[in-house]
Amino acid sequence: MSEEIFKLEKDNLEGFLLYLSQKYNLFLPRRVDDQLSFGQMKPGGKPSLDHYFNTDLPPKEVFFPQRETLLSYEGGEVKHSTYKAKPIALFGVRPCDTKGIILLDRVFAEGEYEDPYWKARRTNSLLLTLGCNAPLSTCFCHWFNLGPFNKEGTDIFLTDIGDAYLVEPCSKKGEECLRGTSLLGATGDDRKVAEEIRRKAESSLSERVEISSLKGRLLALWEEDLWEDISQKCLSCAACSYLCPTCHCFDIQEEGSQEKGERIRIWDSCMFKLFTQEAAGTNPRPTPKERLRQRIMHKFSYFLDNLGEFGCVGCGRCIRGCPVNLDIREVIKAVKSFIVESR
Amino acid sequence: MASINEQLREQARKLLADKVVDLIIGYRKGSLPLRSTPYLVKTEEEAGSLIFDLTSSNNLAKYLPRVKTENRGSKIGIVCKGCDGRSVVQLIIEGQVKREDIVIIGVPCEGVVDTRKVRKKTGGEEVLRVSLPVLPGSGGREIMVEGRGFKITLDKEEVLCDVCLGCQHPNPPLYDLFIGRPREGSSARDEFKALEEFERLSSDERWRYFEHEASRCIRCYACRDACPLCYCEQCFVDETHPQWFGKGPDSSDTLIFHIVRALHTAGRCVSCGACVRACPVGINLNPLWVRIEKEVKERFGYTAGLSLEVTPPLATYDENDKQEFIL
Amino acid sequence: MRNPYIPIPVKVSRVRVESDDKTLKTFDVSFDSKEERFEFMPGQFCQLSIMGKGEAPFGIASSPTEREFLRFTVNRIGVVTTALHYLEEGDIIGLRGPLGNSYPIERFRGENVVIIGGGFAFTTLRALTVYLCANRDEFKDITIIYGARRPGLLLYRDELAEWEKRGDLNLYLTIDKPVAGWDKRVGFVPTVTKEIAPNPKGAWAVVCGPPVMIKFTLPVLLELGFPPERIYTSLERRMKCGIGKCGRCNIGSKYVCLDGPVFSYAELQRLPEYEG
Ligand SMILES: Cc1cc2nc3c(=O)[nH]c(=O)nc-3n(C[C@H](O)[C@H](O)[C@H](O)COP(=O)(O)OP(=O)(O)OC[C@H]3O[C@@H](n4cnc5c(N)ncnc54)[C@H](O)[C@@H]3O)c2cc1C
Ligand code: SF4
Ligand code: SF4
Ligand code: SF4
Ligand code: SF4
Ligand code: SF4
Ligand code: FES
Repeated sequence: MSEEIFKLEKDNLEGFLLYLSQKYNLFLPRRVDDQLSFGQMKPGGKPSLDHYFNTDLPPKEVFFPQRETLLSYEGGEVKHSTYKAKPIALFGVRPCDTKGIILLDRVFAEGEYEDPYWKARRTNSLLLTLGCNAPLSTCFCHWFNLGPFNKEGTDIFLTDIGDAYLVEPCSKKGEECLRGTSLLGATGDDRKVAEEIRRKAESSLSERVEISSLKGRLLALWEEDLWEDISQKCLSCAACSYLCPTCHCFDIQEEGSQEKGERIRIWDSCMFKLFTQEAAGTNPRPTPKERLRQRIMHKFSYFLDNLGEFGCVGCGRCIRGCPVNLDIREVIKAVKSFIVESR
Repeated sequence: MASINEQLREQARKLLADKVVDLIIGYRKGSLPLRSTPYLVKTEEEAGSLIFDLTSSNNLAKYLPRVKTENRGSKIGIVCKGCDGRSVVQLIIEGQVKREDIVIIGVPCEGVVDTRKVRKKTGGEEVLRVSLPVLPGSGGREIMVEGRGFKITLDKEEVLCDVCLGCQHPNPPLYDLFIGRPREGSSARDEFKALEEFERLSSDERWRYFEHEASRCIRCYACRDACPLCYCEQCFVDETHPQWFGKGPDSSDTLIFHIVRALHTAGRCVSCGACVRACPVGINLNPLWVRIEKEVKERFGYTAGLSLEVTPPLATYDENDKQEFIL
Repeated sequence: MRNPYIPIPVKVSRVRVESDDKTLKTFDVSFDSKEERFEFMPGQFCQLSIMGKGEAPFGIASSPTEREFLRFTVNRIGVVTTALHYLEEGDIIGLRGPLGNSYPIERFRGENVVIIGGGFAFTTLRALTVYLCANRDEFKDITIIYGARRPGLLLYRDELAEWEKRGDLNLYLTIDKPVAGWDKRVGFVPTVTKEIAPNPKGAWAVVCGPPVMIKFTLPVLLELGFPPERIYTSLERRMKCGIGKCGRCNIGSKYVCLDGPVFSYAELQRLPEYEG
């Protein structure tokens, strides 16, 4: 990539967003009733970037909406279509969530089958990732070697340096996009400021826990009553999964009559008992113990088996959103420190 | 006098040591400021981590049926503030647990903090440290919260949950032992305070309010799953024979979910607010629930979970009754 | 690339009640458009769907050597399966597939094959048997052990009678409890397998049936000397997408819809979540 780093004065942000929204269907962090999530840019709309640490809902919903029509039918006729509007751009995604989108790319678009609905929205989409000057205490992206200024997977990387953003193209798409602007180059001083901000942010992160050997640990502890202890308070809701930028489970449902209606997919979660309820009455995951273990195993073991990467990006949403304060970091620590009693 | 936490731990240890109970459902310090977390205590050592304070917001009665099934034959201790205690009474009335299987450890409740209200006060900045007034009855009302570059003192009344502001029953109606002294009844509080603003709205506005709240619902069911009275083996939302409303996040469907859930808990809901606190996206349908409880009280003179003797209006409560009050 | 969520319309060409209690029906379907090429191997499954009712996975009971139709046998248990039972000849339904992997038939060539089935899970075993018979000289001894609770619950009874007449199949049928008029074996499949004691030398075993049957049959096969690498079984999990995306059907890191449904016992033993 080019070494060029540009500078976008905050005063010119509006113009920049306008430029983006001409080429793209632009989504940015928007606050509705104290809740931050990615919303479509409305004419004259502004992003909610003050007190913006991360959105409450993950950006996956832009590419993987909670409800999606797979097909519609009427009489004997079946119709289906995928996203066809302008390519999507996300402005202000946090690095952890960019990584989450990259992981979901692998889930949905890699392998034997390609998910056409995900693919249609992702094709030609542009990710403008914003570095985190002030990580939350629940952020633990650094456990996964990501970190608040991780550029992996992004097209354009932004650093907030006060009254301006440093704008760094990180992909061909990003370069092309910036070519259409009249942004000036950043000075050496700007870069120094950015470097200092980055250093400060990284040093403010909570203590890092080493997780490279976690997978083996997890497999060894499969049978242990550790899982009973950990899951005791879990309510088997789906707050953690629905807030998670990498959870991709869905259900397929019918809406309508036999004559006319839609086949839709909606988010679903392995934490629900019915998720694996079988028609014959059996259920391989009958209690919260098996279900929570599945969630942890999927993120920290199965993802590694299948894609060679952890399935968690450390965004901390599940920690902030769990109604019983079941903290995934504590689960990891408990797994690490669990002592197997000889039987 | 020993602090409430010290007394609680002491009593819990004793209950376990004397084999009065086999386990205790309580709270311990959570991993985040302003959060405590449910804790199942099995040993005297674990009892040393028990706490009860303004952050003990989960309704522990939720766990009773499950802990009971997973530990057959065990006697279960449960730490109960007012609303947890009322839920326990309701569960006993509804045959979900037996009185003789549980030991209720009453605690005097000063209300629980609504973390969303705090978040508003800090302008969205993260709270990193807090110091809470010592309970009970210390008269302390100040909550000090600190974060990156700020340190503010809040009056607890500003940040307590809506339901706590109208709470009439801060002590469990039924208990086997009590930690500290039961709090004076708070009849000075307006029971239906949370409704004040809501009732000023026109029925159109009320409908719009519900619709707006429901439109943000992501159907994670944390509200249902946190509710001690939502214990149905098969919830109506999961019914497939027939499946009478959609499973997606459209507000037409999420509204049905919330309204039917409200009807299912009508006359049983103890207004603990656990569902509102559980919601990860901050949906507040509390007015719907409180409005129904008010109606039940006015029509049947009944308040849920106060006594084992009173027959709840459930048996006589007909779901086909006029329900204009919902809107 | 074809949208993998969109079913192909197929026409129901034949409906037959399969069991005496009418809970099992067999459907033959054929493609409406003749250009539709449908290549599959025994062991694979399809998602059948009725608009407004939903989709459910079913093992393909016919062999690729039977070009004229695809066959499914459906146990009526819930929403979709009940709707399927109302189908009449000529009706159009949706089909997605073929999905999943198949029995490793290539590895069976030149060797003995032992097929063990229980109840209505015999569907893909029928596909396998018909396939082996159509290429009979490529395989050595073929032994089939098939059990059901009672005679009326055995699938494909006409065909079983034909197979019995063939000299090149060792077919053992068994029912759980004796009934008048039954002159074949009585006893559970694991026990009968033990009695028959198929020779493990140069042999492959394929086991399909209700979970309890599988659970008790696998140890018998191990005892007889079949190595876990040579025992195959087909698993069921609740499924939705059938293509490894919806996350529903995993056992450990494997998705049954994508990496299965056919697994060797050796593979299963390595999966944390498999409780065999
Ligand atoms: C690879 C594979 C191959 C298969 N092959 C065959 C085959 O050849 N023949 C065959 O008959 N079957 C086969 N099955 C099983 C078949 O797919 C199921 O029986 C079918 O999916 C049931 O669908 P249904 O809509 O009729 O049932 P549903 O209506 O979905 O469910 C019926 C029952 O499931 C449980 N259940 C489901 N959803 C809920 C809920 N929301 N709440 C509570 N309980 C619930 C209940 O017990 C309910 O009564 C196969 C399965 C797999 C995975
Ligand atoms: S961990 Fe928390 S958010 Fe997740 S299912 Fe359990 S209670 Fe719900
Ligand atoms: S598991 Fe939790 S911390 Fe990890 S990516 Fe998902 S929501 Fe974020
Ligand atoms: S299986 Fe569970 S943890 Fe894994 S993606 Fe699905 S919902 Fe998330
Ligand atoms: S987890 Fe890391 S990347 Fe994500 S918001 Fe926090 S600091 Fe930023
Ligand atoms: S907890 Fe909130 S988002 Fe979840 S189902 Fe309830 S109201 Fe909806
Ligand atoms: S059925 Fe969706 S992953 Fe297997």
